[in-house]
Formats: sequence, structure tokens, C-alpha cells
Amino acid sequence: MTPGDQSEEPQTRALPAWSSQFSPESLREIAALGPIGEIDRQWAWGGSRGEGVRVAVIDSGIEHDHPAIEGCVHGGTVVEVEEQASGKVRYVDDDPPTDIFGHGTACAAIIHAIAPAAELYSVRVIGRDLTGKALQFAGGIRWAIDQGMSIANMSLSTSRSEYYGLFHELADEAYFRNVMLVSAVNNIPAPSYPSLYSSVVSVAAHNGHDPFTYYYNPSPPVEFGAPGIDVEVAWLNKSTSVSTGNSFAAPHIAGIIALIRAKHPELTPFQVKTVLLACAANTRPSAGSPAT
Amino acid sequence: MSQAASGDDRLTLELKHLLTSVEASGVALLPASNLELLQTVVEAAAQIFGAAAASICLLDDADQSLEFKVAFGAGRDEVLGMRIPLDRGIAGYVASTGQPIAISNVSQDVRFNQEFAQSTGYVPASILATPLMINDRVIGVMEVLDKIDAASFGMQDMELLGVFARQAALAIEQAQQMNGLAQVLVNGIDQLLKGDSAEGQTLLSEIADEALDHGQAEYQQAMALAGLLFEIGQAGEAEWRLCLDVLAGLRDYLRSRPRFGR
Repeated sequence: MTPGDQSEEPQTRALPAWSSQFSPESLREIAALGPIGEIDRQWAWGGSRGEGVRVAVIDSGIEHDHPAIEGCVHGGTVVEVEEQASGKVRYVDDDPPTDIFGHGTACAAIIHAIAPAAELYSVRVIGRDLTGKALQFAGGIRWAIDQGMSIANMSLSTSRSEYYGLFHELADEAYFRNVMLVSAVNNIPAPSYPSLYSSVVSVAAHNGHDPFTYYYNPSPPVEFGAPGIDVEVAWLNKSTSVSTGNSFAAPHIAGIIALIRAKHPELTPFQVKTVLLACAANTRPSAGSPAT
Repeated sequence: MSQAASGDDRLTLELKHLLTSVEASGVALLPASNLELLQTVVEAAAQIFGAAAASICLLDDADQSLEFKVAFGAGRDEVLGMRIPLDRGIAGYVASTGQPIAISNVSQDVRFNQEFAQSTGYVPASILATPLMINDRVIGVMEVLDKIDAASFGMQDMELLGVFARQAALAIEQAQQMNGLAQVLVNGIDQLLKGDSAEGQTLLSEIADEALDHGQAEYQQAMALAGLLFEIGQAGEAEWRLCLDVLAGLRDYLRSRPRFGR
């Protein structure tokens, strides 16, 4: 795995909600202090292919036989509303995993392109009925935690404040159980959970196309910017499409995290975040760092 | 009032019937004006975005499907009234997630354009779709199809479509409030006849104010009648009985009267 080109500059264009901090005029250079300045991409993920890292894609499902996935889907579940069940959801095996919209397949293929040896798991939480969809989404995160996933990619969010507490609790539990939640912020400029929590890795889209060029933003709510505009992605029925949205930015970061976690399994979520910061395209070792 | 109302549930029923009729006519009337407004919104959106077509579909809570209510441009006639389940197509995805999406250049994909392709034969090359939201609830989806002078819709388009979608959602919300008002009237009259008179009077005037604000002739007529009945009811049991008899007599006369042209 060759570390990506860090020289790509974002172009001036209208950006999705939450993306303005990654435009050239507002992008800030981040100083990586002390030993953090020593961390580079070669150390972080050089040579890694994401071996053995389990990544849950909480979305519309994954088309298991899509050529862009190359058979890397290792399992799947469909989360359905069930009033009497614990957490008001039940889990139905999805074997082999399928996708109903194409969106989950798109995200899975982005992760696979970056971390080709990572194991993908399809967690379908949308479809048919809007009633209880936030509970299905929460059930998807619960599944990822209970199944010991290393990373959960979530291109979804909820803006309903009554679920603030539920998702906060899940995000904290994931954090302490070593599951990294990578969350796309909504394309609509409104609060969205769990992307706003500090325990998750929140991602918005920038204009670039190099999959390894991502930026760190120290000001909330969005911490990372990755490609998400006019991205060629996998879509339903073994097809491809060109798509735009913050939801295509998140799997880029999820893929990079898979590389890091495969190479450095001992790192905890906050340490991984630090590595991400150190290797962001807008981060430079500060003067006096050993690397300068 | 409670004295007058105690023996006469019939009046309650009559008033309910009357107001339900008003409500029914309101339901029939309001969406028409509402749809005109939505039609204007999609036409304006298509023109501003330079799109070959635009449409709005609304969520039907009962069967969890999306129904195309208004459309403009290519495939319009075929798509109007069409229903798609929530687990299909771009509109289904947007309604399910509350997330706008721009997508283009889809290769070999039938389901991508299912909602149009199946019945219209119209296969757009690019789609921009955004949710219609009331507060944090998805009520429908607005789509613009085939940007004429570009291969795909950009982020600027996504933001702008969000503005149109807010206008459309506002129009729908207002229509829903109007429909809700009719229900409030029915409930209000119910309470008025069964409950405390002073409270009922206050409630009635509040409802009347709201009805006047909304400027609906039917509601104003209903409120005038309800107010009149209330006042007569206040006069006493005998007066109340007389009023009912007169109204019932008038109704019977009207029913028995020969109607020309029927």
C-alpha cells in the first residue's frame, strides 16, 4: 500500500453541508506536536491491506457478488422492528447479503478499494417501513458492538432529538469496547446523531478524488474531510454510478482506519484518531518535532 | 349548557355531521390548491436547475409507500399517481434515510430508475433527490431529473433543491394544519355541548378566530351556525328544544322538497 498523494488541493466549488471547513480558503494547517509529528503514513499503514479487520457497513445492505467487492463480504444481518423484542428490533440472517438500494454496496466497495483484505459485514437497517427506523439504526450499532466489529461505517444519522441519549450511550459503549464508529454527517445542515459525538469519527466530503487525501478539522462538528463529490462508486446489480454526498466520504476514512488497525491492533479508538490527525494532508510536524 | 345538552346527543351528532361535511369538503378543496402550489414549485425547480423533469412524491403512512403527486416535464403523465414502495429506487432511499443524494452515469441498472423506467420508458441519466421534511419527519421526496447542460447535479444544486423542498414541505404542512383544524372544530363542539359552558365559549371563540385567520368560507359558516346554537342553548331548555325542532323541521322540509335536475 503506497501512501497517497498529499499534494492534491481541493477545488473551489459549492460543497455539501459541513464541508466548508475543508475548502481551500478555510482549511487550517494543523501542527503535530512532539512525537505525534513523527507519525507518518508509512508507519501508520504502509504495507497494510486491512488483514483480519472486521468492518460493519450499517446501511442498505451489501450486494455480496458485486465485482467491486471481490467476495470480501463475510456475513450479514437485517435489522427489523419487533415491538416485543429487546431493543424493539430483531436480527434476521442475510445470507448471502443483499442490498436494496445500492448505497451500502457503494460504501463497502470504497472500503474494499482501500483495505482489500478487510472483512466486510452487511448490516441492513433501512427499507420498507419508516416506522422505527431510528431503532433499526440503533440496533445496527448494537449488532456491530456485540459481534466485536473493529469498525462500523455509518452513512446514516438521525436528527430526532428523542434519540440523542440512546445513540450517545451506544457511541460511548462502542468507544470503550474498542469499536470505531465512522459516521457521515448529514448533507442537510442540521444536527445529526451520532455524527456530532466526540466518541465517533465524523466525516464530510471534500472535492478531491485521491482516496488517501483527507483533512483534519479541529473545530466541531466535523473532524475529517474525505472525497465525496462525483465519486465513481459501485451500485446495484453489479453496476457503477457517479454519486455525491457526505455518505461517500465516511467509507474512505473507514478504509484507512482498517489499514491502521490491521497494522497496529493495539491502538485504541482515541489513539487511532491521533494517528489519523498526524497523517492528515493538512497536518505538518511542528517546528522542533523530531521529524522536522 | 350541560342541562340543555344532557338530553340531546342528537344535536351533537347533527353538528358532528355538519362539521364532518365541512371537513370533507375542506379535504377535497385544500389539496387542490395545495397541489397547484406544489406544481408551481416543481416547475420552477425544473426551470432553475435546467432539468428535463421534476417531481414530488409524498409518503403514504398507511401503506408506507410514496405516491407521485405532481410532476413536470418528461414522463409526467405516466408518473402521476404512481406508487413506489419505500425499499425501491432513489426516492425510496432518500425517504428512508432523510439524506439527499445526487447520482448519475448509472451503468446497466434497471432498478435505479425503476419508478420511471417501468411505466414511462423514460430513463434519466442524472437524478438529484432531496427529502421533504416537516421538523424531523420525512413526508416525501422531491426529485429533479436530467440536468440539461451538465452530466450531473452538483452540490450547489443539492443545496438549492433543499430550499425548494422546504417551500414544498411548508405548503404541505399548512394544508395538513387546515385539515387538522376541521378536527379541532368537531372536538371543540363536542366539548362545548358536554362540558363547562364558560370554557366552551372561550374554546369556541378561539376556534372561530383560528377559522377566520385561515379565511375559509366553509369554516366561517360552520362557526356562525355553531355560535348561534350556543347562544340559543344558553337561553334555557325550552328555547333549546324549540331551536332543535325548528332546525329539524327545516331539514325535513328540505329533504322532502322536489329537487330539479336530479
